Amino acid sequence: MSHTAAIITVAYSIAVLIGAAISFAVFRSTSRPLEEDRSGTWSRRETTWLVIMIVVLFALLMGTIFYVPYGDSAGPHAQYVRVTGVQFAWAIDAPQPIVTGRPVEFLARSRDVAHGFGVYNPDDVLIFQAQVVPDHEQKIVHTFSQAGVYTVRCLEFCGAGHDKMVSTFVVKPA
Amino acid sequence: MMDERSLQVARGLTISYVKGSTLILAASGLLGVILRWSQAVPQARIGDNFWYALMTAHGLGAFVGWAGFAVMGLGYWVLAGVGFPVRGFGFAMAKLTWWLMVLGVVGVIVTTVFMGFGASWVFLYPLPFYGSGNWGDWATGLFSFSVLLVGLAIVTWCLAILHTVTNREALHSVSSSIGKRLGLSFGWGFLMPRTFATNPKPVPYPVIPLAVIGLDMIIATLPLAGLLIWQILQSMHIVGQANVLLAKNILWWFGHPVVYLLLFPAVAVYYWLIPRYAGRDLVAGNVIAIAWTVAVIANVLVWAHHLYLDYPSGTAQAQINTAMQPITFALVLPSALSLYSLAFTIYRSRFRWTPASTALFFGLVGWLLAGLSGVVNATIALDVAVHNTLWIVGHFHHMAMLNIGLLIFGATYALLPELSGKALYSEKMAWIHVWTTFLAGMAFFGIWLVQGLDGAPRRWAVLPSQYDTLTRVSLIFVFLLAAAQLLFFWNVLQTLRGKAGAASFDERGIPVPGKPSGDWSVHAAEAAVLILALLLAFAFAVGGYFVGREHPRGGNTTTTTGTSTSGGGAVTGDAKAGAALFASSGCGGCHTLAAAGANGNVGPSLDAVKPSEALVIARETNGKGAMPSFKDRLSAQQIADIAAYVHESTTK
Repeated sequence: MSHTAAIITVAYSIAVLIGAAISFAVFRSTSRPLEEDRSGTWSRRETTWLVIMIVVLFALLMGTIFYVPYGDSAGPHAQYVRVTGVQFAWAIDAPQPIVTGRPVEFLARSRDVAHGFGVYNPDDVLIFQAQVVPDHEQKIVHTFSQAGVYTVRCLEFCGAGHDKMVSTFVVKPA
Repeated sequence: MMDERSLQVARGLTISYVKGSTLILAASGLLGVILRWSQAVPQARIGDNFWYALMTAHGLGAFVGWAGFAVMGLGYWVLAGVGFPVRGFGFAMAKLTWWLMVLGVVGVIVTTVFMGFGASWVFLYPLPFYGSGNWGDWATGLFSFSVLLVGLAIVTWCLAILHTVTNREALHSVSSSIGKRLGLSFGWGFLMPRTFATNPKPVPYPVIPLAVIGLDMIIATLPLAGLLIWQILQSMHIVGQANVLLAKNILWWFGHPVVYLLLFPAVAVYYWLIPRYAGRDLVAGNVIAIAWTVAVIANVLVWAHHLYLDYPSGTAQAQINTAMQPITFALVLPSALSLYSLAFTIYRSRFRWTPASTALFFGLVGWLLAGLSGVVNATIALDVAVHNTLWIVGHFHHMAMLNIGLLIFGATYALLPELSGKALYSEKMAWIHVWTTFLAGMAFFGIWLVQGLDGAPRRWAVLPSQYDTLTRVSLIFVFLLAAAQLLFFWNVLQTLRGKAGAASFDERGIPVPGKPSGDWSVHAAEAAVLILALLLAFAFAVGGYFVGREHPRGGNTTTTTGTSTSGGGAVTGDAKAGAALFASSGCGGCHTLAAAGANGNVGPSLDAVKPSEALVIARETNGKGAMPSFKDRLSAQQIADIAAYVHESTTK
């Protein structure tokens, strides 16, 4: 599991536990119904709930929006790798052996339909991915820290051989 | 103000939608079982393209043909229930919608199951024109036409809804301006009473979500109709290829709001039925109108969160995507406020717990679960880890089955007696159905979330072998879920046949359980169905597990065979069988072979290299460079067949 997937697992689990506790509390509360009508108070407090939600979502937005993968630059010492997706194979063309520690710029294109360039590390953990659509060049920047054989799987449905669209490339120690 | 005739009209409409959509649920649910079974049990594996064709039918069938169709029908009855009769133009559109939807779904089934169209329900352009020999332009044209019919059904439904919610009499509106009346239906009377409201209670809450989606789906569907017409023309070779990135944006311009075509009418049903079971009015502040105003706008401006991982150089897609994250977050607000209102409506009320209201309550829990995983998907930095993995499949099954699906079941149990005048056949069957659906669904879809976090790719007919164990475990829950639906179908059928007598209702309008039949055969039948279902579930799951274990894919056995054939030719290849395998395995995608009409140029041209049989076997078995190994997917015999074919057709 990747670092990001681990964060999602923890955050989602906590949120689900809280949600389950609240759901159960609401369920149990109906066994002791209130005599008086408090609907008016609860209705007015909905504004407070709206404010809480806006604050929470804004915090999540500010905490995550700066980690988008867009516009990454590999810098002057980049290693360039050409990737071509075609039904149902990846051609990965690295003029020099790919090494760890230096940014790699993948320049990916498709010859036919949309494909998804999903890269799994030697432990078979999904570490990054991007879409590759025809007529456009997709630039993906990544710096490898681990040497070994990486697996590429297609992560956008591309037809009958989609699940056969698997390839590998090797990253050598610097 | 609701005369008996208007009620009769809405009743007839809703019943016809419920019947049609329930039949589609049966068909598309069965397809879903086949898909997961094929993934889990090697011996039960269906052909790859057939798998994808069934996936296409299952997706469109279950999502739009069942869930969408059902809530569209329930919408009419909700509106009638709060004093908005469907009539005149609205009624004509509602009738037309039924026929367009049914014809469209039949067309989808024919073009996928029988013509092999397997480009998935999102038919990501230009994939429909790259069938790699599995389907032709005819299938693409007919499929596009069928989806166009479904799209038109959505538009005519929207017209029916907009006509109904702008009914001046029902709104108590003196305004002749249609814009002002629509604003009133959006709930603006709560915010600006002097401009919009003309009576103390501006509009019944269930009207608001229906009005919102009625407008939004017209905006969302029209561009898709344009793309579908383009595809039809392209299939007839009248036009050439369209701009691929634009087509993808248009697809998702529709593809996101269509989820809300399911959710918003479902919210209307919650707003209407939860207060009935709680015995108090919906607890809602005027701010709820703010949330729905946000929804009108945000719903049609979040499409690109499905394109977060498209950011090709020289386009504005990255900027569009970045803007979509805050807008998508804004769309959380109508859900968050609705859940608040519904939870407080139930909280410490004299809530009447029946199978119907329990299903509605579980539906709210499913909504919460789907919403939370949706926030993950909406966050670009997190989406990178789960995009197009099985996590997404888990997310939208929470949404479609455990939120919308349970709502439909709950509404069916709650409303079928008042719609049909007949008492529910068996309350006990309904209890078993609701609980099993919720629990088995939670387990089944939870496994998808876990597999997705572990990087399992979505839409793979055959998953990489490290995911097999969990896939087989999930089979137990798949069959439990399917078996529970059999109880639902039987219960609805027997109810409609009047097996439990006439319906009666308590003071809140909640159906009173029919006279429990003392006949022992009913209980025996219920018990038999349940026991049989459980036994089948375990038998299939356990059987599948052991069969799978006996036949490891890519294990040592296969490798040994591969090596020995490449050395000595222990297996003799059949060139004729090889020709078919060459096409179905996608070899031509990369290699040129004139005899097969293949002109791929990723790998070496076979016509130029004229490889020996041994070389072909070695490359197919072990792969080299970009060429993947096929030893996990083809048997030694099949590999030898292809080698024989390649050798024969290049040396003649």
